[in-house]
Amino acid sequence: MEFHEHRRATAWMRTAPGVTAARAEAPQLGGEEVPDDGCGAGPTSLEPGRLHRRVSGVDPQAVAVTDAELAALGDPMAVLFFRRGVFPMTVQELLAGLPQPPGGLPNAVYLIGEAGQVPLNASPSPFRDFRFAITRTALQGNDVDLLISTGAGDDPATTFLQVAAWDPDAGVFNYYSRIDPSWVWSGDSWAALAEGSRGRGCFDSHINGSVVMKELALPWSNWQSQAATINLPADSPVRADPLFAQVVGAENLELTVRALVGRWTAARLAAVTRTGTVERPDHLLRQLFTTTSVNLASSAVQSAAVTPAGRDFPLPVGFWLNGDALINDLALPVTASVPLAPADLYLAALTTFGFRLQERASGFTRPGDTFFAFVVPEAAFEDNDVIRRMVEGGLLPAKFAACALMVDFGNPVFSADRARLMAYVPTGPTPAAGLAEEVARAITEAAGTLPAGSPEARFAADWALPDADWPQAFADRIDTYLGHVSARIGTRAGFEDYVRLAESRRRDFRAMRLNEFDLTLPATDIPADAPRLAMLEDATVAPAP
Amino acid sequence: MTKLPSYNPPGHLTDLDGAGLKAWDTFISDSVDRAAQGPDPSEVLNDSPRSQYYNLTRTDTDADATEATVTWTAFPRTIKLTSLGDLQRWKRADASRDVQDEYCEWSVTRGTDGKITKVTFTCEGPEYWSLLAQTDPAAVLALYRQFVDPGVQHGDLFAVDGTYNPRNRWNDSTSHGAMHLVQRNNTLGAEIELAAAATIVRVIDGEELTTEQQLVQCSMYGQAERNSDPHIGGSVNAIARQKADIALADPVGLYFNDLSTDGWAAPDGSDPKDYWTYVRGDADHPVRAVYEVPQERGFTVGDITINGKPIQFGAQITDFITIRLTAVACRFGRSTTEPKTACVQFIQPTPAAASGLAAEAVPTLRLTAPPSSVSRR
Repeated sequence: MEFHEHRRATAWMRTAPGVTAARAEAPQLGGEEVPDDGCGAGPTSLEPGRLHRRVSGVDPQAVAVTDAELAALGDPMAVLFFRRGVFPMTVQELLAGLPQPPGGLPNAVYLIGEAGQVPLNASPSPFRDFRFAITRTALQGNDVDLLISTGAGDDPATTFLQVAAWDPDAGVFNYYSRIDPSWVWSGDSWAALAEGSRGRGCFDSHINGSVVMKELALPWSNWQSQAATINLPADSPVRADPLFAQVVGAENLELTVRALVGRWTAARLAAVTRTGTVERPDHLLRQLFTTTSVNLASSAVQSAAVTPAGRDFPLPVGFWLNGDALINDLALPVTASVPLAPADLYLAALTTFGFRLQERASGFTRPGDTFFAFVVPEAAFEDNDVIRRMVEGGLLPAKFAACALMVDFGNPVFSADRARLMAYVPTGPTPAAGLAEEVARAITEAAGTLPAGSPEARFAADWALPDADWPQAFADRIDTYLGHVSARIGTRAGFEDYVRLAESRRRDFRAMRLNEFDLTLPATDIPADAPRLAMLEDATVAPAP
Repeated sequence: MTKLPSYNPPGHLTDLDGAGLKAWDTFISDSVDRAAQGPDPSEVLNDSPRSQYYNLTRTDTDADATEATVTWTAFPRTIKLTSLGDLQRWKRADASRDVQDEYCEWSVTRGTDGKITKVTFTCEGPEYWSLLAQTDPAAVLALYRQFVDPGVQHGDLFAVDGTYNPRNRWNDSTSHGAMHLVQRNNTLGAEIELAAAATIVRVIDGEELTTEQQLVQCSMYGQAERNSDPHIGGSVNAIARQKADIALADPVGLYFNDLSTDGWAAPDGSDPKDYWTYVRGDADHPVRAVYEVPQERGFTVGDITINGKPIQFGAQITDFITIRLTAVACRFGRSTTEPKTACVQFIQPTPAAASGLAAEAVPTLRLTAPPSSVSRR
């Protein structure tokens, strides 16, 4: 199936009713249902040879940009193409129009497809939906400043073609789509944060304004990588695509995306703290207290290669806690080992819970888990990067960030307890100096009137720890917690609890706009209306508050 | 249709004399032949012969030949999967050469303030050094003095009887030099054997095996937990499934593919890639690299940041290094070799038997005993 050019790499055009229902039931995921008005031009046709603008939620329809607006765009697409009146209509034309430096800076081409590991003889066959992501340095030194997304093996003139392009002067990504017969500017990184356009159009996935690679880390599920080669038939049109010969492993894209996310985060923080007053502290601190986005993590084990007598294997650390923030960035001296899942319990759970891959639009179904076992949402790198850089830049004390993340730390994503603390974050201009202390003071004051088990009281108790003691105290709690996990995961009841917890979090993910393809996650027999679950600090699982 | 006259040394290195070059060619050629033959069917079932694997010096490479490059990350995957966080994994990987098992090993030099001043990386297989030590011990000593430390003495490297010790004091740690690979699985013999074993196409219960982990499990080549071995095997097998014949490209070896510096920043705004230098091997086949900032810059490696974090471990750099090997494939669609319909089975399936068998699969160098063995799990 070819992609509709108005969408990005998405299957929403054929989304089954169940997904809409899941979104309607979404807990704390941004509240209102945002109309899907796409990255396109809206109800208008475009004029050839002109760049248009349409920021979803702001512009009802596309309009041609003015000369002044075009001059203000400083990214490679604007500088090398649009300002010169050049409008490449295919990815090949786009790449050919970029500077070809001596010796050649090659494109880095990546391939992704959620059905890339489904046997070629599957019947009915799932939609293959292969896409290329292409990174390229166009304007500046060795730094990637262009990220292109397009259909693979489809007609290049009609498949979607979208670009995130870095503007080094403005310090933003600009987002563009080719909408025949021209191009549309869909906004920049700031538009992702602005009230009118947040969560709309392209910013339903570029939620905080940066580029996105959902399956960011090893084993880079669904991507062609050093961990897995996408299975293509000999006569696949993807193979015939000239870009296919340039495909490299997604392990390289991870490095690029982390750097690109960091580039925007650094530019953003510099901008919002420049005057010493933060206009919207809530825009920053929601990335500490809430789950604005997620990445998808999994074990590195191929599900079909697990045997009952096989080795125990680690589930993703991000399932147990926000290790990236707490251990890597805040350097808590945790010493526990990674909990290991017994292979026999994992296999038994696949049967017990009816794990299967299922694509409603095609009718494809196959028993078992996703290709890499145990896919779950984990804390988003783009959230953690903001937290880390706020700490490193002095906007937040490390202790404040740690106290926030230690509230309900066994639930690194979709924590209602942690999200509740957003109520104490100012929404208006606030001096950067003392921002964290102001929030901590408000939480601590509230804690005085609330039960000891409330999120406010837990934060306040941690905040009261001496500065010299909190890192070890928090590490001890995590070590104890992971010790409990390691004990419980070896029992059938414990492992099944964790399977139910994982499915609960997957259900929350399905309610997000990031959820594009049925085959991203496994389906199970766990009822869609089963209570949401949460991890407790003793490593037991209970209904979520 | 052409045959290669002889196998060249890794990276087209120029250390070997005429006799050494001939011995090297013989070693690689014999290794390839033995790997293509596979293990004795009376001891191992379903693993021989490897008819789609060929010797470039004995069999023509046809006009439809294409090269396939396989790359992987230098940071050890096993350490990554069993560590709780970056700090823990970087420390573990920097602690011992024995865990640096992705065909890349390194040694870190620090200043008096503890900051890193230089990291040296090697992907040179040990076999070449064993041969060089036999043909020209003085060259070995000179190279150690040139690349590791001017104070290296003959007795540091060689026993009284003249036997070269690959794990000598200048090549056995992560802080006192790394001249060539010493981790037990990081051998060219392993690479050759793995590539050969991976050419066997397997159809089990009517389903063709295509994934890296299933192939490793069934064909029992390499180490399943590494980045490298399953990926090499999977890539080679994907070509074999196209009914092509496959060889490792000359010069057979493991090479640095690249250092990515996405997200890196130097304190003076200079390009961090400028401090990455290849110091052995030809331009297309580098086998030794150094990351070091010239003194006149006024800062050191430890002042460079990666995504905002200063470089405190050599392992941080290996997250960004890729290693590669290159295969040649030709006669696409023409192989008549039938897939195996069963997995590898050892007749005496004890670990000791398996290990011994694997070691025998590697021909000895004409002038010395093999320094390591091929890993068969």
